[in-house]
Amino acid sequence: MKGRHCRAVLTTLVMCGAAQATAELDRLNDRDLSDISGQGGIYLSGDISINEMGGPIENSYFGRCDDPDKKCGARLAYRLKEDGGWMVLDEIRGNFSFEGLTLRVRTIDSGFGGDGELFSRDVMEIGLPNVVRYNDVRFKIAGSNLPRPTAPGFRQTDILAVEMQGEVIMEGNLLVFPAGNP
Amino acid sequence: MFSSLKRHCVADRLPRAFLVMVVLLAPGLTTAELQGLSEHELSEIDGAGIGVVLENFVFSHGTDTPDADGNQARIFKIGGLKSTDGRDVEIVVNHLYISGAGSNYGQSLSPVNLGRLVNPYRIDVVDGNEIGISDRAVLEFAAPALVDATQGFDCMSSGAQAGTGTCASRPATSDFVGERPDIGMQMNVAVGDDRSANISIHAKSAVIDGSFLRLWGDDDRRQMVGQFKLNFQTPELSINACSQDGLSCGSRITMTNFALELAIGNQLQPVFFDVDGTGNFVVEVAAIEPPAPGAIGADGLRGSSDTETWDFYEDYYTNPDYRSNLHIGNFSVADRDFGSARVEGMLIQHLDIRTKDLAP
Repeated sequence: MKGRHCRAVLTTLVMCGAAQATAELDRLNDRDLSDISGQGGIYLSGDISINEMGGPIENSYFGRCDDPDKKCGARLAYRLKEDGGWMVLDEIRGNFSFEGLTLRVRTIDSGFGGDGELFSRDVMEIGLPNVVRYNDVRFKIAGSNLPRPTAPGFRQTDILAVEMQGEVIMEGNLLVFPAGNP
Repeated sequence: MFSSLKRHCVADRLPRAFLVMVVLLAPGLTTAELQGLSEHELSEIDGAGIGVVLENFVFSHGTDTPDADGNQARIFKIGGLKSTDGRDVEIVVNHLYISGAGSNYGQSLSPVNLGRLVNPYRIDVVDGNEIGISDRAVLEFAAPALVDATQGFDCMSSGAQAGTGTCASRPATSDFVGERPDIGMQMNVAVGDDRSANISIHAKSAVIDGSFLRLWGDDDRRQMVGQFKLNFQTPELSINACSQDGLSCGSRITMTNFALELAIGNQLQPVFFDVDGTGNFVVEVAAIEPPAPGAIGADGLRGSSDTETWDFYEDYYTNPDYRSNLHIGNFSVADRDFGSARVEGMLIQHLDIRTKDLAP
């Protein structure tokens, strides 16, 4: 009998509690809701390596970077003409790191020499990281007759090679937004 | 209506009538929430591309020597090239920068905006019919578009006010960084062991408004084709050669009020890109088709010719959009002035560029 009382009291308390909790929540009308905007953002720091030691494929052409007879970078080939040759970004390798790349949605309604007021919309803002460190980043621009270097009859002509090392200053914000044809 | 309702009530058919009315009224209420668009409003709507603006942007890269604190040297090297006598050519970019106005040839970097929120850099797929490329979707990378001269800014003057020219990008003022960057590059060209060539190129308050790159596919040749237009204007473009440490420099070649309008490819003669069987890169602008025999009269006048053909060639040879121009306000070397230079109306009738492998 005593136990049943207890259970009844508990049930009442739980129900009252729920009722109180509901009373704590206030409804938002449309106007109040329209004033709320997302305040979230993303902060990224990264250290990205591409084939620094060598890629996953090891065959007659690709291999480890310490093997002088093998190519160790990533390869991207694309064709500009049906039955034509291939443009190639070859031997893409290296490491770059950055600290403090930010990503957020921002409302612009002022500034920009008076453009902000006319614009008055949301943009996606990518905050550039101020400094990007390149460590032995290399790639080659080339042309080849076949996409796969392991295919028979493969010929490739390297046009130029690019090498980057050290810190690059990259400050500011990249703003991205939908834009119609003017 | 009320009388009919009364009749229904009498006939004890109220529930069904009520249901019918609710069903009939409900769509009416929904329609009231949606507003119709007028023809005028509809014509304002266009497919949206992506607009890109860089705010308070500074870019700087490269020096071949370690900094004062002994930190690692920055290197930006372009290699793999060969001179005609077989020596390796290496271009070391000692300094590449994009900065705000008044950078003193890249010495003091400050922020600048690139593109305007109301006229940004755009990446867009556009309807070819609107730009003279029939029935094609065209991928377009475009700098801020040129505007009406009553609203724009003079493209050259770094103190231009609104209503003085066709450029959308504004020069820097005392309280606004503007949208015209100082850009420059200092590079060392090494041929074999000879590293003596040290060349710097600087452009002040540069504007590329109205430039674009358009890419699309050609059905007949089954190939990627393009059209490239570069409008580059700067009040001062300078070139000089310096010692490798950059401390002592030779005479500066200065070109003031430099304007280049370069048109490579057009709607009638697009640029073709390809790689040939030996792996060499090919850029080609095909010659325009000659008229059919007899289509143009012996005297060359419109009256004696097929008018459609005659108008086509008349447009091709007179349309200023197909032509490249170069204006230099004043060309000077150190303190010697050589006056102004103009090269106008260059038309690329045929172009065929092929890279060639010099390796044995």
